[in-house]
Amino acid sequence: MFGLLEDSINGILMGSIYGLTALGLTLIFGVLKVINFAHGSLLMVAMYAAFWAVTLTGVHPYVALVLVVPFMYLFGYYLQDIIIKPIFKAERDVREPVTVIIVTTGVWYVLDNLSLLLFGPQYRALTPNPLRGKMLEFGGMMVSVPKLWGFVAAMLVACAIYLFFQKSRMGRAIRATSLDRDAASLMGISQYKIYNIAFGIGTAVAGVAGVALVPFYNVFPSVGVLFDIKCYIIVVLGGLGSIWGAMLGGIIVGLIESVGPQFMTATWTEAIVYGLFLVVLFVKPSGLFGARADW
Amino acid sequence: MTRQNVHISTMVLAVLIALGLPLVVHSPTYLHIMILLYLYAYLTTSWNLVGGFAGVLPLGHAVFVGIGAYASTMLYLQYGVSPWIGMLVGGVISVMIGVLIGLPTFKMRGAYFALATIAFGEGVRVMIENIDYIGPLKLNGPRGLQIPPLNVGLANMLFLDKKPYYYIILFMLIAVLALTWVISRRKLGYYLNAGGEEPEAAMALGVNVARCKLMAMAMSSFLTALAGTFWAQLTLFIHPKSVMSLDLSFEIAFIALIGGRGSIAGPVLGALLLRPVSDFSRIYFGDKLPGLHLIIFGVVLILVMIFQPRGIQEPLTRAYNKLVDRIVSRRARGVLESA
Repeated sequence: MFGLLEDSINGILMGSIYGLTALGLTLIFGVLKVINFAHGSLLMVAMYAAFWAVTLTGVHPYVALVLVVPFMYLFGYYLQDIIIKPIFKAERDVREPVTVIIVTTGVWYVLDNLSLLLFGPQYRALTPNPLRGKMLEFGGMMVSVPKLWGFVAAMLVACAIYLFFQKSRMGRAIRATSLDRDAASLMGISQYKIYNIAFGIGTAVAGVAGVALVPFYNVFPSVGVLFDIKCYIIVVLGGLGSIWGAMLGGIIVGLIESVGPQFMTATWTEAIVYGLFLVVLFVKPSGLFGARADW
Repeated sequence: MTRQNVHISTMVLAVLIALGLPLVVHSPTYLHIMILLYLYAYLTTSWNLVGGFAGVLPLGHAVFVGIGAYASTMLYLQYGVSPWIGMLVGGVISVMIGVLIGLPTFKMRGAYFALATIAFGEGVRVMIENIDYIGPLKLNGPRGLQIPPLNVGLANMLFLDKKPYYYIILFMLIAVLALTWVISRRKLGYYLNAGGEEPEAAMALGVNVARCKLMAMAMSSFLTALAGTFWAQLTLFIHPKSVMSLDLSFEIAFIALIGGRGSIAGPVLGALLLRPVSDFSRIYFGDKLPGLHLIIFGVVLILVMIFQPRGIQEPLTRAYNKLVDRIVSRRARGVLESA
């Protein structure tokens, strides 16, 4: 019973980091109405960026945020501007932008294998790592410190994004474009600029997740794939385009993964997550929490 | 010489070259590369029935390859059933699974359908990896199954030479291409196309879009499973990460998309372009530059999608038609002059 509580807490913490990775995906979807299949690869790029920033400069792992987040923002901004925008323009009247999915899949393959080519297949862990294996004990329960910080970061980022979308001028422009791109264009909002910015923000959020993961997670070229499929599952569970849905979906997946092994072989939990995903997809495609999905 | 005669002679020539190739090429390595090329062209053509004609994006077809491979291999290893029969059993199981996936998913829109097929494919792979036995049937979990190279011969679809494999997959490819051609010329092909392009308009005209898609899915999963059995007999070793991997699902879709989905020539052209890239970069750069062929795949995919969204078959078909026009008109002029 006690172990169950400890597992649940660690599951919630890890799940909130899953939610953070899914948050970027759900933001990009909410505005562009496109599932970015390269999102896991962008997370991988962020993790390598964080890893090298810390290794080369020797700063504290969390200080890397100031380098990684702007870098990832620009990376996403120009990825959208150079590669995805032309497809959008060609396909603007198509209701189901399948070509964009295909192109982002191409980006996924290029990024993953480029990093395999550049950095090799080995698993890398931060070597001077003040946070490695650090545990906090309260009431006899052990809680991982880097995961706790990841949880804090996830909640802060989710709140910040929410406030940004609700209150700021740019946030309102993004929401207007997401609701009706043509009407927003008529109001003088540059549609493609908004897309670039939204893609940049989504990628920057993946940057935060990358920095949060690096202190306790190995970096390797295909690390994105592990998160990729989880991210799709989480965003569909929470409702595509919903910020809080992504966080809750992440926590659900995290809980299943950490509590599940108490009752079954650990590898079976993965099958349970896929099963839950398919059930939700068939029964309630708008997500567990009924987020508005207009397609 | 009429246009149709030119088309027929081109096709006959292509088939003759393919049939005669093993008489000239004796290296097992190169024959193996050709076998894989045909295998992927076959898989992609089968995928194209759903992914091309029905206009959805299935990204989990490796499941059917895996079902075909596992069904025939388990039957052969445990009961001595010939893989030729196991092939059909795998095909029938595949159809059932395919319809089971298709029923709820075909109602979904683009990305949701793609995600559902990915999740289904990966879910089945994870399950197979976790199961050692289903009742008396040995699956052997992540370690996979091995076929001992004993009792070789046509009856067991087991050969020590590459040539029989070459001819089997070549005939399978020709058969599936012919089948696609027949379907595209019949009502089902037109219905599928209409349902893929404009589902509402097609439904308004009385086309049962969902049923057509299900039929396409059933055929596609059956044909894909046959290739799974062939794969198992060719490599003699199957495990979930090889015959059911996400990478295989994606590679099938990539070849079709680069070649040109919804066309008959597209999958073959895509395989002709991409398989050699992948084989030769693996042979020559595999140890020094790992993953190079996948970078090339990705870049080609992005470029084709930006500049030729209908795939490389479109400019190639245009060039071929121009050539045919020139031959036909020259002949016509010659006839006129002699008269």
